Amino acid sequence: MAMTETRPAPQAAAATAGAPADRAGLAGWLSTSDHKRIGRLYIATALLFLLVGGVIGELLAVERVSNGFDVLTAGSFAQAYTFHGEVALWLFLVPLLLGIATFIVPLQVGSPEIAFPRGSATAYWSYVVSGGLLIGAYLANGGPSGGQPAAVDLHLLALAGLTVATLLGLVSVLTTALTMRAGGMALGDVPAFTWSVVVGGSLTLLTAPVLLARLAILYVTHHFGGSYDLNDYGAIGWMFSVPQVYLVAVPAAGVALEIVPVVSGRKLRRRGTSMVIVGLLGVVGLGAWAQVPSSFDDFLYVAIGLAAIVPPLALLGLLADSLRNGRPAPRAALLLAMGSVLLLLAGAAVGALSVIDGLDLRGTVWEAAQVHLVLTGAAWLGALAAIWWWAPKLYGVVLSEAAGALAFVTTFVGTLVLAAPDLVNGMANDVPLRATHFGSSGARALNAVSAIGGGLVALGAVVVVLSLLAAGLRKGQRAEADPWGGHTLEWSTTSPPPPSNFSAPVPPVTSPTPLLDEVDA
Amino acid sequence: MTAVLELPAPPLPERRNVMLVGTMLVIVAGVTLFGGLLAAYFSARNATVHAGGTWAPEAGTLPNAALAITYSALFLSSFTAQWAVSAIKANERRQAYVAVGVTLMLGAAFINGLSFCWGQLHLVAGADNYASYVYAISAVHLFVVVAAMLLFVVMGFRVFGGQFHARNAEFVASATAFWHFAVVAGIAVWWCLWFLAGGPTS
Repeated sequence: MAMTETRPAPQAAAATAGAPADRAGLAGWLSTSDHKRIGRLYIATALLFLLVGGVIGELLAVERVSNGFDVLTAGSFAQAYTFHGEVALWLFLVPLLLGIATFIVPLQVGSPEIAFPRGSATAYWSYVVSGGLLIGAYLANGGPSGGQPAAVDLHLLALAGLTVATLLGLVSVLTTALTMRAGGMALGDVPAFTWSVVVGGSLTLLTAPVLLARLAILYVTHHFGGSYDLNDYGAIGWMFSVPQVYLVAVPAAGVALEIVPVVSGRKLRRRGTSMVIVGLLGVVGLGAWAQVPSSFDDFLYVAIGLAAIVPPLALLGLLADSLRNGRPAPRAALLLAMGSVLLLLAGAAVGALSVIDGLDLRGTVWEAAQVHLVLTGAAWLGALAAIWWWAPKLYGVVLSEAAGALAFVTTFVGTLVLAAPDLVNGMANDVPLRATHFGSSGARALNAVSAIGGGLVALGAVVVVLSLLAAGLRKGQRAEADPWGGHTLEWSTTSPPPPSNFSAPVPPVTSPTPLLDEVDA
Repeated sequence: MTAVLELPAPPLPERRNVMLVGTMLVIVAGVTLFGGLLAAYFSARNATVHAGGTWAPEAGTLPNAALAITYSALFLSSFTAQWAVSAIKANERRQAYVAVGVTLMLGAAFINGLSFCWGQLHLVAGADNYASYVYAISAVHLFVVVAAMLLFVVMGFRVFGGQFHARNAEFVASATAFWHFAVVAGIAVWWCLWFLAGGPTS
C-alpha cells in the first residue's frame, strides 16, 4: 500500500503578519518604516539629486569646450569637478540602487518586511540630510581647496554621513537576505538580483568603512588647522576610479540575470556559474587598497585591472546563450539590461588598458571616460532596467515600452558619445583630468562632442523622470500580479504589493525558480 | 491503494537571528573601519620616517601609566559584559543588573581616562601628522565605545523591564558581541598608537 503524506499550508493570517499599514497622507510618508515606501522615496530622491549632478556635469562639459574659464573660475571648476563625482556616486547611483534593493529584496526572499525597518528609514533620512549638507557645504565654498574652513569641515562630515547612511541601509538589506528568507530557500537559491545585492552590499560593507576612516583623519587634520586640498583628495577619490567603481555595477549584473531568462521564456542555464560571475565582478571591485599612486605599479593592481574584463565577458556570454536558446520578447527592460552589460564590458576593457604602464593613461581624461562607461552607462542603465522591470511592483503600472526604448537609446548612445572623445583625448592628446586649457582645437572639438553626449544622457533622464511621474500618478497600464511570467516570489503577490507584501502564505521554496515550479506542478 | 495521512501545518519560516546577524555585519564594517584607520596610520608613519622626519614624541612624554590603566579598564569590561549574558541565560536577574552596571561603569572609566590622557599628551592636532592620527583614531574608537554603552543602557532598561530570559537573549548576545568588538578595537588602537609609538623613529 502506498502512503502519501500531505501537509496543509501555513495559516494565512499568521503568514501575512508583517509591518502594519502606514498612516495616510504626508505624515505616513514621513514616518514610514515600510520598505516599499522607503524604496520609492530613495528612488525619487536620487532622481532629484541626479538633476543637480546633471546640471553640474553639463556646466563642466561646456567649460571644457573652450580654453580657460567662461562660466566658472579656476577654484570653482575644481570644486564643481569633485562635487559632480560625489553627487553621481553618493547622492544618485548608490542610493538609487540601494532604494531598488530595499524595495525588491524582501519581496524576492518572501519576507513580509525588511530587517530593522526603522534602521532602514533612519538610513534614508540620514542620506537626505547628509545630501543636503553636502550641497550646502559646496555652496558655502567648501569641498577640497575650499575657501571657507567651516564649509570644508561640513563637506567632510556630509560625506561621512552619506557613508554611514549607506552602510546602515545595506545592513538592513543584507540582514533581510541572510535571515528572513522564505522556508526552504537556501542562500544559493536566492534570485540573481538578491544575490548581486548580497555580493555588492557585502563588499561595500568591507570597503566603505575605509572611506569613513580616511574622512575621519582628514576631518581632524583640517579642523585643527592642517591642510586639505586636491592633493589629499586621493584619500576619497579612489571611490570613483578603477577598480572600486565596478562594485556599483554589480547589482546591474543581477538585474540582467533576472530579466533575460524570463523574457527568453526559459530558466537560466548554468545558474551556479552566473552566481560565481557576479561574485567575481564584486571581487574585482574591491578597490580600497588602491589609494596611493605607488599602488598603481603593483602587480595586483595591474592583474585586477586586466582580469576585470573576464566577469562581464562571461556574463555577456551567459546572457547571449539564454537569448539564443529562448524566444526573447522585445522589451524595453531587456534592451536596458543588455545595454548595461555591454557598457560594463566596454568600461572594463577601457579600465584594462588604463593599467598598462606603457600607455600612460593614468591621470588623463581616459579615466573619466572609463568611469562614465561604468557609472553613467552600466550602473545607470542597470538601474533603469530594474525600474522598468519592477515598475508593476514599485508603482502598480507597466511603464511605457516606447519611453523605455527612448531612454535606452539616449542613455546608451549618449554614454558612448560622452566617453569616446575623452578616450581619444586621453590616448592621443594626453589631456589630464580636470584640464581646462587645451593645446589643440581638435581636443576642444572632441570636448564639444562629449558635451553633446552628456546632453543625450540628460535627455534620457528627463524621459525617465516623466515616465516615473506618470507612474506615480498611476497614469499607465494597470499591472497584473505577474505581467512578465516571472520566476521568482515577488511576482506571486499583487502589483503593487499589500502592506505585508504577501496576501497569501508563501509556500515552501524548493528551487531558485519557485513560480516555474508551481506551473510545472 | 493509497492512504493519505494529513500532517500538521509546517511551522512558519523563523527569523534566523536577525539581531545577531545585523550586529555581526556592523562588526565586520567596524573591523574594516579600524583596519583602514590603522593602515593609514602606518602608511603615514612610514612616509614620515622614510623622509627623515619625526613621527611620535619620545616615549617618556606619553602618559604610559595612565594609558595602560585606561585601556585595562576597557579590557576588564569585556569580562563583565560576558557575565551579563551568562546571568541572563541563567535567569539570574540580580546578577544581570550588577553585570550591566559594572560594565557601564568601566566604560565610563575608559572615557574619563582617555580624556585625561588627551590632556596629558600636549599634542596639537593639525600641527603634525602623529597628533592628527592619534586624535582621529582614538576619537573614532571613543564613538564606538559610546555606541556600545548606549546599547548596554537600552539592554539594562529592558533587563529591568523583564524582557530577557534564557530563551530570549539575542539582543543581550548582540550587544555583548558589539561590546567585545569595542574592546578588541581598543586593544588594537592601544597597541598601534601607544605601545608601538616608543620613539621618534619607531
